[in-house]
Amino acid sequence: MVPIFLFKWDFDSLCRLEKPLNTCSRFVALVVVPPLLLMGGSARADKTLYEAMGGETVLRSAVAHFADNVVADDRINFTFAEANMDKFRQLLFEQFCNLSGGPCKYTGRDMRTSHLKLHINNAEFNALAEDLYIGLGQAGVPYRLQNRLMALLAPMQHEIVNR
Amino acid sequence: MTSLLAITAFVRPAVRLQRLPVELVVFVLCNVLCVHAAHAQIAPYESVLAPDSGKLPLTAGFNDVDGAGGAGLVPWALITGYGTADSWGANAHYTAVQLRDFRLRSYGVAVGALDRIELSATRDVFDVTGTALNGLSVAQHIYGLKVRVYGDAVYDQDSWAPQTAVGVEYKKNSGISNSAAVGLAGLVSPTQLGALSDSGTDWYVSATKVYLAQSLLVNATLRYTKANEFGLLGFGGDRSDSRSVEFETTIAYILTRKFAVGAEYRKKPHNLGIDNERAAWDAFAAWTPSRNISIVGAYVSLGSILAPVTKQSRDQNGAYLSLQVGF
Repeated sequence: MVPIFLFKWDFDSLCRLEKPLNTCSRFVALVVVPPLLLMGGSARADKTLYEAMGGETVLRSAVAHFADNVVADDRINFTFAEANMDKFRQLLFEQFCNLSGGPCKYTGRDMRTSHLKLHINNAEFNALAEDLYIGLGQAGVPYRLQNRLMALLAPMQHEIVNR
Repeated sequence: MTSLLAITAFVRPAVRLQRLPVELVVFVLCNVLCVHAAHAQIAPYESVLAPDSGKLPLTAGFNDVDGAGGAGLVPWALITGYGTADSWGANAHYTAVQLRDFRLRSYGVAVGALDRIELSATRDVFDVTGTALNGLSVAQHIYGLKVRVYGDAVYDQDSWAPQTAVGVEYKKNSGISNSAAVGLAGLVSPTQLGALSDSGTDWYVSATKVYLAQSLLVNATLRYTKANEFGLLGFGGDRSDSRSVEFETTIAYILTRKFAVGAEYRKKPHNLGIDNERAAWDAFAAWTPSRNISIVGAYVSLGSILAPVTKQSRDQNGAYLSLQVGF
């Protein structure tokens, strides 16, 4: 209700067409419309994100790069000091595959339980996200698709950061 | 700490009373530091006093012409600086905008704390570089406060709700200087051009959302203001002396983790009969090579400025370049 009201209010007063192409209508045509088309375009993609990223080979490679980045990252590697990295890679692959529409089942614990004792803070969570971005890039996943996967993972922030 | 308190016990009571508040602050700060330092083996970023530079690149935003965290013309709901909710961050910026007949320089500092509160102090200097008024200059100070009210623009991908913040900007015009003595003798204040005040307060509410799956950042701002040309020509005027609600927006497409392009639109009120004030807009590219540095380049239009006085009614378009350093 409120957003509709704002939209109506705002473009009524904003786009009083004094000339055929005033600043406002140009702005709407050039800046507002293309992203909307973009959003519509990505919504009717028929391939799953899992397939678009390149399936099991690419995702396993991304997870391997991610694990390497994390271990090399002084901001967060102490969190993984006692971790079983083989298990970490396998569970992560299952989770990303499952989330992105691939044929996998995630067999790990839920995010809150598995991170409870690690006391992850905001900076550490973001460092992890950054290492994942870099890992996906190293595996050849385009940035646009990296963000689509990240969009599925981002809400987990509330379960993982527990300070 | 104990020794500090012990010393104060031996000082004469009157002096001790004067000193107490300062030491109370020191005491509280030290406690925060010490208590957090005790857990230092768990993680390196424990104290809220230690900057964590923990946000993702680009997510600290930039500084707009009023000094607030945002893009070039429009404040975002994001809190400036790279400090997360556990910490704080700060930055300094210098922005230069060369228009056809004017030049705007903006420089200032901003602090963001706990991903909740943002404070900024900025100075805008606006020089006339063309037309009959060449040589005139006007400046203003802007002090800003922004508070994040709700949400997280990046994490809340499972919700429609944007990150929302409210802000206030107190602007004080420093007057007009006429170094070249261009024939408008005695012109020292925008109130002589019709503005009713040389200071004013803007209120705004900003809503920012990152549509991560689409790599888009969308911001909408409503500003309650009576500033003429951002306050550079004073506040209120012969046409209106009441605040109006003006719409501003930024839309950005995030191309890489460190690079984005976008456009902005900022409606401005039209209070001065002597200035056919129009909306401002820009198209920008922003690059954050590291969390310590951001560069924004833009093509910007501020619309017609003081056309009846300068006898130059063309739109004031030009180049915008902004550098931000911080943590």
